[in-house]
Amino acid sequence: MTDDTRPHRRLRGRALRTAVPRLSRFALEHLLLLPIGAAIALVWVNGAPESYYRFTYAIAFAVNDVAMVFFFALMAKEVVESTAPGGVLHPWRRALLPVVASVGATVVPALIYIWIVGVLDEPMLAVGWPVSLATDLAVSYFVARQVFRPHPAIPFLLLLAIASDALGFVALALFNPTRDLHLAGGALLLAIAMSIAGGLRQAGVKSFWPYLIGAGGLSWCALYWSGLHPALALVPILPFLPHAGRDPGFFVDAPPGARDTLSRFEIWWRYPAQVALFFFGLVNAGVPMGALENGTWGLPIAVLVGKPLGILLAAGVAVAAGLHLPHKVGWRELTVVGFSSTIGFSVGLFFCTALPPGQLRSELSMGVLLTLAGAPLAVLCGRLLRVGRFSP
Amino acid sequence: MVSFTRRLIPALVVIAAITSAALFAQPTPLPNRPDSLKFAAIGDNGTGDQPQYDVAKQMAAFHDRFSFDMVIMLGDNMYGGQSPADFVTKFERPYATLLRAGVKFQASLGNHDRPENVSYGPYNMNGRRYYSYVRNNARFLALDSTQMDPAQLEWIENSLGSAREDWKICYFHHPLYSNANRHGSAVDLRILLEPIFIRHGVDVVFSGHDHVYERLKPQQGIHYFVSGSAGQLRKGNMSPTDQTAAYFDQDQSFMLVEIAGADMFFQAISRTGKTVDSGVIRRQTTRSQQ
Repeated sequence: MTDDTRPHRRLRGRALRTAVPRLSRFALEHLLLLPIGAAIALVWVNGAPESYYRFTYAIAFAVNDVAMVFFFALMAKEVVESTAPGGVLHPWRRALLPVVASVGATVVPALIYIWIVGVLDEPMLAVGWPVSLATDLAVSYFVARQVFRPHPAIPFLLLLAIASDALGFVALALFNPTRDLHLAGGALLLAIAMSIAGGLRQAGVKSFWPYLIGAGGLSWCALYWSGLHPALALVPILPFLPHAGRDPGFFVDAPPGARDTLSRFEIWWRYPAQVALFFFGLVNAGVPMGALENGTWGLPIAVLVGKPLGILLAAGVAVAAGLHLPHKVGWRELTVVGFSSTIGFSVGLFFCTALPPGQLRSELSMGVLLTLAGAPLAVLCGRLLRVGRFSP
Repeated sequence: MVSFTRRLIPALVVIAAITSAALFAQPTPLPNRPDSLKFAAIGDNGTGDQPQYDVAKQMAAFHDRFSFDMVIMLGDNMYGGQSPADFVTKFERPYATLLRAGVKFQASLGNHDRPENVSYGPYNMNGRRYYSYVRNNARFLALDSTQMDPAQLEWIENSLGSAREDWKICYFHHPLYSNANRHGSAVDLRILLEPIFIRHGVDVVFSGHDHVYERLKPQQGIHYFVSGSAGQLRKGNMSPTDQTAAYFDQDQSFMLVEIAGADMFFQAISRTGKTVDSGVIRRQTTRSQQ
C-alpha cells in the first residue's frame, strides 16, 4: 500500500460506516461472530464429534479463562462509563428501581426453573439454576432498540440486565465454583491487584498496559486461585483506568481519536474481544442433538415466563413501596423489557461453563440458545401492546 | 389294578412335569462355580410399570439357580416422582424377593435420578456420587457421568492407579460407545474417560441411558456393555455398526455376570427369560469373546 492510497481508503471506509445505520453497524460489529461460532460448533459436533471435542477441550482454557477476560472487560467498561455524567448509572439512585426489578427477574425464573426441571423429569438439571439469571447485554439492547428506539425503557433494561448478571455471577461463585474455594487468600491477592491499579492511577499512568499486565495479571491469579472464574479478572481493575468525563452512551464505540486510557483500551481490544467471542461460541455451543431430553426446555420456559412475570411483580412491589417508574414506562413497556431480558446467549453460555462437560451442560447450553426466542417474542409483544415504534 | 392305575397317574404327572421342566427351562450358560463372583446389572429400570416388575421377577427366578449377591445399577434408577412412596413402588416392591434374599444393590445415578438419592440406604452409595469397592478379585468404580467434574476425574485416576485387583470394572449411566439412535455415544465423556481407562487397564465398562442392550466389540482393549432396558425400552432403536458385537432391542432385559479367575462370563436375559446374548471375556492380554 502506498501513502497516497491510504487516505483514499480511509475515506471510503468512513463513507461505508456512515452509510450503514448505527444500529446495524452495532449488530455487525458486536453480534455476528458469536452466532457464527455457535453455528459452526453445532454443525461440527453433530458431524464429527470426536474431532470437535478434541479441539475444543484443547483450547477451552485459553478461550474461557483467558480470552474472555477481554470480553468481560469491555462489558465492564460500558458499566464504568455509564457511571459518568450522562450515563444510565448516573446518579446511582436512578438504578434503584431496575435493581429491585432485577430481584424479581432472577428469583422468579430461578424458582420456575428448579420446579420445571423436576416436572420434566430431569431433576439433575436443577444444579444449573444460576444460568436462568443470565442476560446478554448486547443482544438484549439490540432487540429493545428494535422496539423502542431511544426510550427511557432502554436504560431501565440495561440496568436490569447488569444487576441480573451481577446476581448470576454471585450465585455461580457461591453455588458452582469451578475449583476449591480459597476466598480469603484470593481476596487478599485481589486487594493487592486493585491497590496496584489505584497506585498506577495516582501516579498518572496513561497507558493501559501496566493496568492490564500488572494489576490485571495479579487479579487473574487471585480469581483463579480463589476458585472464582478468572474471566472476570479485569472487572475490578477497569474502574481504575482514567476515563472520559462524560459517558458517550451505552455501546457507543470510542472514537479513534479518543485519548483517555479506558477508550484506548477499548479501541485496542474491541476486535480481539470479538474474535474471542467467536471462539467462545465455537467452544461452548457445540451441543450434540442426541444429548437433548425434555429438560432442555426447562431454561427457555423458565426465563420466557419468569422474567417478564418477575419484573412486573417486583416493579409492582417497588411502586407500591413508593418508588417511581421512569417517565413513559408502564406495565406494557415493562413486559417488552421482560422479554428482551430473557436472552441469555453469551452470558448464559458463559454461566454454563461452570458445569462440567456432559449431558447437563449440553442441555443447558441448548436451552441458552433457545432463549434467543425472546427476541422475536419481544418484538411481537411490542407490536401487540403497541409500544415504542409500534405505538399509534 | 384300578387302585394301582390311580396311584400311577399322579406319579406319571409328577415325573412328566419334572422332565419337561428340565428339558424346557433355560439353562444358565454361566458356569455357576461355588467361589466365583456373581452379580446382575440393570439400567434405566425405575419406571414402576409392569415391564420393570416382569424383569425383576425374572431376576428373582434366575437368582434361585444362580445366587448372585449383588446388583449394579447403571442409573435412571427412578423416573418421575421420587417420593418415599415411589421408592416403594419403583424399587422396594419389584426387587422385594432379591432384597429379602440379602442381595446388595450398588447404584450409580443417571440424569433422571434426584441428586439426593445418593443417601437412599438400599442404593449403598453412602451419600457419595461416585465411589469404589472390592468384591473378590474385582475392583468396581461406580461413577457419576452426569457431572464429570475435574475432582471426579482426579479421583478416578487415583483410584484406578492404586487398584491392585485382577479385574477393574467401571459403571455409570452415559455410554462411551453406543449405537442406539436416540442418544448414541457420549463422545464428550469418552474423550475424558477413555485415556484414563486405557492407562489403568480397565477391563469392562457397563452403562445404560440408551434403552436397549448392546455389547460392543472391544474398543482400545476395553469391553463395553450398554444395558439400559431393565424397565424402559426403545423397541427397534438400534442401528448396529461394525462396533456392535451383539444387541437386543425387542424387549426389556438385564444381565447376569460371573467372574471366575481370569474369565468373566456374561448373559443377557430378556423380560421373558430368554437368553439374548452370552459369552466370556478373558482378562487383560488374552482377551477374547464368543
